[in-house]
Amino acid sequence: MEISSNGAETQPKFALPVDSEHKATEFRLFSAAAPHMRAFHLSWVSFFACFVSTFAAPPLLPIIRDNLNLTATDIGNAGIASVSGAVFARLAMGTACDLFGPRLASASLILLTAPVVFFTSIASSPVSFLLVRFFTGFSLATFVSTQFWMSSMFSAPVVGTANGVAGGWGNLGGGATQLIMPLVFGLIRDIGAVKFTAWRIAFFIPALFQTLSAFAVLMFGQDLPDGNYKRLQKSGDKQKDKFSRVFYHGITNYRGWILALTYGYCFGVELTIDNIIAEYFYDRFNLKLHTAGIIAASFGLANIISRPGGGILSDVMGKRFGMRGRLWTLWTVQTLGGVFCIILGQVDSLSASVAVMIIFSIFVQAACGLTFGVVPFVSRRSLGVISGMTGGGGNVGAVVTQLIFFKGSKYSKETGITLMGVMIICCSLPLLLIYFPQWGGMFCGPSSAKTATEEDYYMSEWSSDEKDKGLHEASLKFADNSRRERGRSVHSQTLPSNATPPANA
Amino acid sequence: MAPPPLLLCFILVLASFSDTCFAIISFSSLQRTLVVTASHPQRLLKAGEDKITVTWGLNQSFPAGTDSAYKTIKVQLCYAPISQVDRAWRKTHDNLSKDKTCQFKIVKTPYTTTNHTSEWTIERDVPTATYFVRAYALDTQDQQVAYGQNTDAKKTTNLFEIQAITGRHVSLDIASVCFSAFSIVALMGFFFAEKRKGGKAQQ
Repeated sequence: MEISSNGAETQPKFALPVDSEHKATEFRLFSAAAPHMRAFHLSWVSFFACFVSTFAAPPLLPIIRDNLNLTATDIGNAGIASVSGAVFARLAMGTACDLFGPRLASASLILLTAPVVFFTSIASSPVSFLLVRFFTGFSLATFVSTQFWMSSMFSAPVVGTANGVAGGWGNLGGGATQLIMPLVFGLIRDIGAVKFTAWRIAFFIPALFQTLSAFAVLMFGQDLPDGNYKRLQKSGDKQKDKFSRVFYHGITNYRGWILALTYGYCFGVELTIDNIIAEYFYDRFNLKLHTAGIIAASFGLANIISRPGGGILSDVMGKRFGMRGRLWTLWTVQTLGGVFCIILGQVDSLSASVAVMIIFSIFVQAACGLTFGVVPFVSRRSLGVISGMTGGGGNVGAVVTQLIFFKGSKYSKETGITLMGVMIICCSLPLLLIYFPQWGGMFCGPSSAKTATEEDYYMSEWSSDEKDKGLHEASLKFADNSRRERGRSVHSQTLPSNATPPANA
Repeated sequence: MAPPPLLLCFILVLASFSDTCFAIISFSSLQRTLVVTASHPQRLLKAGEDKITVTWGLNQSFPAGTDSAYKTIKVQLCYAPISQVDRAWRKTHDNLSKDKTCQFKIVKTPYTTTNHTSEWTIERDVPTATYFVRAYALDTQDQQVAYGQNTDAKKTTNLFEIQAITGRHVSLDIASVCFSAFSIVALMGFFFAEKRKGGKAQQ
């Protein structure tokens, strides 16, 4: 439902249909029209580049471990370090997006971590290896800016799809790198470099890719459909918000914490698998490293459809059943992911393992996409902080899971995988507790209290002083646009007759 | 992109069968009939520079005819136990097709009844570790039938250390630093440009 803005202001022409916040209501994959689809392409490509850099080391480990004299413990620690850096970086990135805009926040992070990828070429010991993997992992915080940017550019009917495709195609980098790096390494070695030099030169490729993608974001991207934060703040169209308020409203929203935990058991599991699955197949079924690498890559490559599929599914369920549909689908898909994880640890034959792994990857990655169909609605003022908490929670899940089940020799890898499946099921249960007064939760319908509207929910993040200053205008528009989260049958009946007039001031 | 799952499964199942065509040879079933010695400078050896001279021959205390099946000799550089600790990719397995102790080939020549000597320059992709030398006698099917090594059964004597090349080059170091500096400077440049544009846009 598009609410046309009043004709008093000059209406900028957009290539896509937009709502009152000028967010696109359609998602056209093969368009690169500014600002919406261009932002989409810039964000997924730059996020893809960061994933390629972060997971560039694992496929080349057989060479690196001999060059740097690494032990299995060193490799395990570096793997944990690579995903732990992003825990706080994601939270910081969320706040930075709220305050400075996704374009500057993401490009800054990418350009600040690119030097670390260049320095990987001169690593010379287990300690330096761990440090470069740790700092390179910070770049995974661009996930938050990607989701924030998509949530700022795309409206409720397609926000799940936009988030899912951008996130999924970025995560693809983790799979693509398992194919790209050995290829680049082989090429350089065949040109004449010795093995221990060839892998070092190979790292320049992800580093350069990362740098160039950041330049593209800075030169061609913009934060909001109407322009960049700085310009909008100067012209008064966007109010500069206070960090303490933004942060406070983010961390006091219990839904953010629940989503952080549950995301740790879909995305965190995905990161864990990225780090251990090649070794698992190599050791358990005595495959060649190259074959194990291809299997490892196919897990990450499933992201091309599975995560977007989750996002699309979230939007479809949201259209029909509203927020309750989104929540039910998320819980169901993630729990099934846990079930297939348990099965993966139990099967004994190679072909069954590969088949189960692919099904498992589809469910787990779809759950990631479904999560970010819910996140944009948890908060409007602190969207970045909530996105950062959820994203950071994903990485915490990866760190915790690897520490408990995949460090040292306490559990065999197959037992670890089964136990991880059990943990996925348990840690998905808190979704049952998420409740929106205006839309309901999994087991309860919306509250019938008069103060349970979308406006009340999003306005509760602003104090009356701030409302007097008119700082809440954007949230008001968003509240209006989010009314469709009541679901189709309810939405068509309950168009409120006394609703606050849309986007007027 | 990735082949359809079913096709991938099929290929992998076929590939997994390729290993089972040969009979399993265990190391403990081999006789130590060869005498192997390795001589080298008595210091830390450098990959790509130093040479190891390996000599091998049949142990004359064995009855004549022991070596009737020996067709080729393969001499390999093998990891000592201390370099296998916490490194599953160098693990010793009794099943020789799974054994990862010896990963570098020094020389492979046809078997001769007289003692044979070979000089080998340590290749540049040999990692930093402690090593010993082992020679396998292979039959006409390239299967191991006997062995010899320059260390004792517990692999504690006559070990030597090799220092790998770093793989680093000054040009690489300089390139890394330059590109990194460029990224940071470019970022600062963009910030300045934004500030100036923002100042101008104010009306």
